[in-house]
Amino acid sequence: MTAAAPIAASAIALAPSPRQLAMRRLLRHGSFWIGGGALALIILVALLGPLVLGQDPTVQDLGNRLAAPVWAPKGSWLHPLGTDHLGRDLLARLIDGARVSLFIGFATVLVSGVIGTALGMAAGYFGGRVDLVINFLITIRLTLPVVLVALVVVAVVGSSLTILILVIGLLLWDRFAVVTRSATQRLAHSDFVVAARTIGSSTPRILLVEILPNIVGPLIVVATVEIAHAVLLEAALSFLGLGVKPPLASWGLMVAEAKNQLLFRPWLIAIPGAALVTLVLAINLLGDALRDVVAPEGRA
Amino acid sequence: MLRFLARRLLVTALVIACTSVLAFSLVHLSGDPAAAMAGEGATAADVEAVRRIYGFDRPLYVQYGDWLGKIASGEFGRSFYLRESVVNVLAEHAPVTARLGLMALGFALCLSIPLGILAGLYRNTMIDRLALALAVAGQALPSFLFALLLIYVFGVQLRWLPISGAATWLHFILPAITLGYYAAPALMRLTRSGMIEVMQSDHVRTARAYGLAAWRVVIRHALRSAIIPVVSLAAVQLGFMLGGSIVVETVFSLKGLGLLAWQSIQRSDIEVIQAILLLIALVYAVLTLLADMLNALLDPRIRII
Repeated sequence: MTAAAPIAASAIALAPSPRQLAMRRLLRHGSFWIGGGALALIILVALLGPLVLGQDPTVQDLGNRLAAPVWAPKGSWLHPLGTDHLGRDLLARLIDGARVSLFIGFATVLVSGVIGTALGMAAGYFGGRVDLVINFLITIRLTLPVVLVALVVVAVVGSSLTILILVIGLLLWDRFAVVTRSATQRLAHSDFVVAARTIGSSTPRILLVEILPNIVGPLIVVATVEIAHAVLLEAALSFLGLGVKPPLASWGLMVAEAKNQLLFRPWLIAIPGAALVTLVLAINLLGDALRDVVAPEGRA
Repeated sequence: MLRFLARRLLVTALVIACTSVLAFSLVHLSGDPAAAMAGEGATAADVEAVRRIYGFDRPLYVQYGDWLGKIASGEFGRSFYLRESVVNVLAEHAPVTARLGLMALGFALCLSIPLGILAGLYRNTMIDRLALALAVAGQALPSFLFALLLIYVFGVQLRWLPISGAATWLHFILPAITLGYYAAPALMRLTRSGMIEVMQSDHVRTARAYGLAAWRVVIRHALRSAIIPVVSLAAVQLGFMLGGSIVVETVFSLKGLGLLAWQSIQRSDIEVIQAILLLIALVYAVLTLLADMLNALLDPRIRII
């Protein structure tokens, strides 16, 4: 008896917490390393690239338009990826585009995440009429075609980074709401929430201190999906000419500007296109790894 | 069932009413469409004239009521750019988008159902992983890029298919592939999980125990019950595709509602924009209603909501 007690105690102390277990599973996940690594690399390039490169992405050199990239016969290291139709350095614009895409992706998710989480938690916690109204809001949001509505708003109000972020953020909150709603519903009647209510915690306190920390997992997963979604939507809007405005660079805009060169200089489309696919794929892989760790059963 | 139907109909009607308010207010967000319509070089007097002719000087709720009244009598106003009634303009463009959407859906189903069946039957094998990889990669590829890639490969290099316009059904193949590709992953995953579930069910096990041919069990017994949720998701996806056709139609110069919407936005042709927004929302709402009905017929538990 006396000998067994310390062993049991140390076994409890050594048993990993759910959080540690999740962390270990994440670190063993291949998608986490590939996706996370690629994303980290893109962020690093976006932050440090302009300092290292020292080229202004907006400087035009009309005498040196559509220069070939360095691997082509006439390429030079002065413009490693060549220049675009206005003689601007393609690499510098590519890096500038990475900054725009990342900024829009993360900033919109802040907007849509706050809206969606607030609505979803309210619907899940209060239920009844509140739930009905918020469900109705979600239905209306889903009825509106995203690209079309974003185009109309940008065309009517005007285009700037702030407006793009607001518009995309106001359109992409639905998944946050759906996921937090069901996660909150599951927690609303759990023992610790009932206990918190019994000791007289206020409703905001229960929502923010008791429930919110427990739905962070699914929230992060949705956030990765929606960052990728926002990046793609910005690219599509810029491609259609109603997103990011020149001289600011955006990968969607770069593809649109190079559309006429499809026949003779396909790399002008392939390079920003590949960058876009890499970024979105990296975010999606990271999200997949997180989903496997957070909610292995809920692959939708 | 009837009560459920009545409830869903009411909700759909409410959704459409709210969408109409949104469609209207979005377009009037800037407060003064007259300035945009009169054009760049217009004088103050010109703008004033446009404002009076189109009634933009009246309060917004009066304009909204007016618009609703017109819609109720089947009149969507006139396109100020095309100088034609909006109903005619829509009637001219809608068939192209409908054809595109249906072909895209057909492509999506042809791609996703066989893949989903295989992935579900051979779970956690190479086929399953390949199907999943295809879905993940597909979601990372923006539609305009995929469209340009198809144009480059099949239009420019191989010269197999036309890349612009809507003259023959051949013109619809590349746009339909582009659009349908994005609906495929969700349909595939649903088919896969449906197959996994149904293959473990009693009636399939019985059929197998009778010694029926494997393909017969899969097609006649398993697929039959796995497919219905897929059909109802397909209806919803069709609605999404109509809204998402704007990029595809623009790239392929397909004269459907998407291209019309894009052009109208650039021309500030607000009557047309309003009508398209409302039409797409209406079609989406109706398709979702159909999908819900199908699900409710299948699974009585849903009807309690």
